[in-house]
Amino acid sequence: MRKQFIITTILVMGLLTLHAGGYQVRLQSNKSTGMGLTGTALQMGATSMFYNPGALALMQTKTDFALGASGIISRISFQKSESDLIAETDNSMSTPFYFYGAGKINEKWSVGLAVYTPYGSSAKWEDNWAGRLLIQNIALQAIYFQPTVAYKINDKLGIGAGLVYATGTVELQKGLNYGSDSYVKLEGSTSNIGFNAGVYYNASEKFSLGLNYRSEIMMEITGGDASFNVPTAVEANIPSENKFDAALPMPANLDFGVSYQATEKLLVSAEINYVMWSTYKELEFKFEEKGELLNSKNQCDYKDTFIPRIGAEYVYSDLLTFRIGGYYDPSPTNEKYFTPETVSLNNLAFTLGLSITPSEKLSIDLSYLQINGLQATKTYEPDQFGGTYKSAAYIPGIGVSYRF
Amino acid sequence: MKLRILFVLVAAVSMWACQPEINEFEPTKGNADFSVYMSAGNSLTAGYAGGALYRSGQENSYTAILAKQFEAVGRQGAFKIPYINSEDGVGTEGASLRTKLVMGYSTDCLGNTSLAPVPANPNATLQELAILLGTSVAADGPFHNIGVPGAKVTHLIVPGYAGLNPFYARFASDASNAVIDEIGLIQPTFFTLWIGNNDVLTYALAGGAADEITAVGTFAASMEAIIGTFKTTATAGAIANIPDITDLPYFTTVPYNPIVLQDQALVDQLNAGYAQYNALMEQFDLPHQISFKLGANPMVIQDPSIPTPPGYEMLRIRQIESDELVLLSIPQDSLKCGYWGSMKPVHGQFIITRDEKSEIDAAIVAYNQIIETAAQSHDLALVDMNELLNQGSTTGIKMDGVLFTTEFVTGNAFSTDGVHLTPQGNALAANTFIDAINKKYNARIPKVNVANYEAVRLP
Repeated sequence: MRKQFIITTILVMGLLTLHAGGYQVRLQSNKSTGMGLTGTALQMGATSMFYNPGALALMQTKTDFALGASGIISRISFQKSESDLIAETDNSMSTPFYFYGAGKINEKWSVGLAVYTPYGSSAKWEDNWAGRLLIQNIALQAIYFQPTVAYKINDKLGIGAGLVYATGTVELQKGLNYGSDSYVKLEGSTSNIGFNAGVYYNASEKFSLGLNYRSEIMMEITGGDASFNVPTAVEANIPSENKFDAALPMPANLDFGVSYQATEKLLVSAEINYVMWSTYKELEFKFEEKGELLNSKNQCDYKDTFIPRIGAEYVYSDLLTFRIGGYYDPSPTNEKYFTPETVSLNNLAFTLGLSITPSEKLSIDLSYLQINGLQATKTYEPDQFGGTYKSAAYIPGIGVSYRF
Repeated sequence: MKLRILFVLVAAVSMWACQPEINEFEPTKGNADFSVYMSAGNSLTAGYAGGALYRSGQENSYTAILAKQFEAVGRQGAFKIPYINSEDGVGTEGASLRTKLVMGYSTDCLGNTSLAPVPANPNATLQELAILLGTSVAADGPFHNIGVPGAKVTHLIVPGYAGLNPFYARFASDASNAVIDEIGLIQPTFFTLWIGNNDVLTYALAGGAADEITAVGTFAASMEAIIGTFKTTATAGAIANIPDITDLPYFTTVPYNPIVLQDQALVDQLNAGYAQYNALMEQFDLPHQISFKLGANPMVIQDPSIPTPPGYEMLRIRQIESDELVLLSIPQDSLKCGYWGSMKPVHGQFIITRDEKSEIDAAIVAYNQIIETAAQSHDLALVDMNELLNQGSTTGIKMDGVLFTTEFVTGNAFSTDGVHLTPQGNALAANTFIDAINKKYNARIPKVNVANYEAVRLP
């Protein structure tokens, strides 16, 4: 019966094709992942520090720890416009992770620390693929450290906020038109601060509401390493070693969620995320040497997106809890500026989850997320490079949480 | 139990962790039959580049690229090219021969070393090169690419043309043939033709000082004869028109005012030297005056067409106008150290004057009218190379991340000779052909990715 349930669900997922936006990765709790990545209106103990610090105020145990990771196996296929040329990415698995530790100081106050990876992207295209002059490979990663406090106003209402210290790294390589072995490689790292604040309200025994805002964090890289592999004849104009500045925004999110305890065993959750991608207007690179020749401004003109999510949790027994969910994450990209750097299509995603709770204190949380990027034909007009893209990501995850 | 669930999850993941499939492009031949393709034309069609005919240049000609792409829409068998057995190749330089030009370092008369086109093998002897060019490969024929470097539209129909052009002699199936006689040996079902550039370019390359522009009537008759021969077997084809050759880097790289003076004494000396010229011109109410100042100055050129005071015919000299063109062939050392353009008027063979440019422009307009009419009357695809070069010389052309311009070397389109195409430029030309053919014949021939072809290789 249980097995049948899982297999049936998996088959349903297999029939559908799905996707996700920009370079945001919301895998901050395997429980939440199982429920369509909802969490704003859920009481999830320490993991609420990411989804809604307000909910932390109403934490039911004195102490709560959670630790987990996911493995993103992502695949992108591309067919060039008016051509039979096909290219694929060979992405190494990226592994976003999280750690949360929180405790109650007294009846009113809770504190905690959250460490998580909300943004990231990696793509490695085949060597000398058709778009090599736009991008050969790219890896972005951001790690957020968030000390958090939450205050319980009354038994129904909690507020919370955290200061976010974000560190990020970027590494990208693209070909240059000086022969197949010439390229530029950029590597940089940076840090900045922001905040995460939320309100959680238990409207009734069954009904909860949550509102959460995570601020934009601008990742400004100063003095990143640029290395150019070019013919000797060009080195006077393009020095082989250089420094660069660039800024990439991690956009703000405003999330609103509701949850409904339909029966003793069944919890349903829905939410909408407003992701303020329109902050990402362009990606500008400024070089220390020969800037007049090398500086570039790449227009992106992203637009804000709304992501609707839905998820459900069913407590099957003391030992097992099942979860299922899905969401639609529309592409924030502009029609004219779709680059193979961040292949962000309209994504339709389905999720599955399972928790095994050998004791009241311990929970082992498994999740599976499949994101299908809906096939679309796109162009990056400034380079006159276009084609049809399709993507898929297969993301199993595992986490443990321990509370007492 | 837990393990079994885990197993199901992992199995599920590995089952679907597969590559998403896209198949949006189905090549179709439309209303054309590509099974036997043949191409005719001049050096551009032959794959001549960097001032020479060499193996990889031939392999990367737009026509070789087209032959490869036509395979997707039914082209059969080998596409035979009269390969020259050398990567350094052989090209003409005036009456002599040389290997292809590659980018290398050369030191000028002032002792400055800079990047410039230099022969790939400066030690190649004339005899070796003559043997390379003179060796017949006719036994490997008949050939599908019969592009002949140097050929004009009128040449392709001349019997015995092998006796006049060694680039044809080396693959002619019979010494008494006209180039178009090769067509019957292949019996193409589809052809491309890009010819006529030399009918005006040969004149232009001589700075208007030698050769002549082919008369319009002759051009039309020759074109008709060539297309007629193709159409005896071919049911479809594409014909390209003539770009405005005066936009080629060969004519736009050297500025009109390269005489840079930093010494007032020299300025005074030059102005004193031309004082008598100026006085005479003024006296006889003639338009030209010559003067120098500090900074950049237009060069003094010979112009046999200008009026002079009676008895002063040696004064057919003047300063060049800013819209007149200086050829890439002008010896740079003579400009820098030999007082060319200042004390010594530059010979007309290095200059395209305003009048010569008008003649060239008018001829191109007339030729393109003939080509357009021929394309219509023979129901052929018309490939607008004129518009392509026009875009390249004004806005530039972006494709697959490559910017094509008419800049010498750095513009990606033109090779080290400033006239012929790089492999990347050939890929652009091939895509332009494919666009026109697809449109005309309702076909879907796959285009190539220009980023996968080389521009000018730098050391």
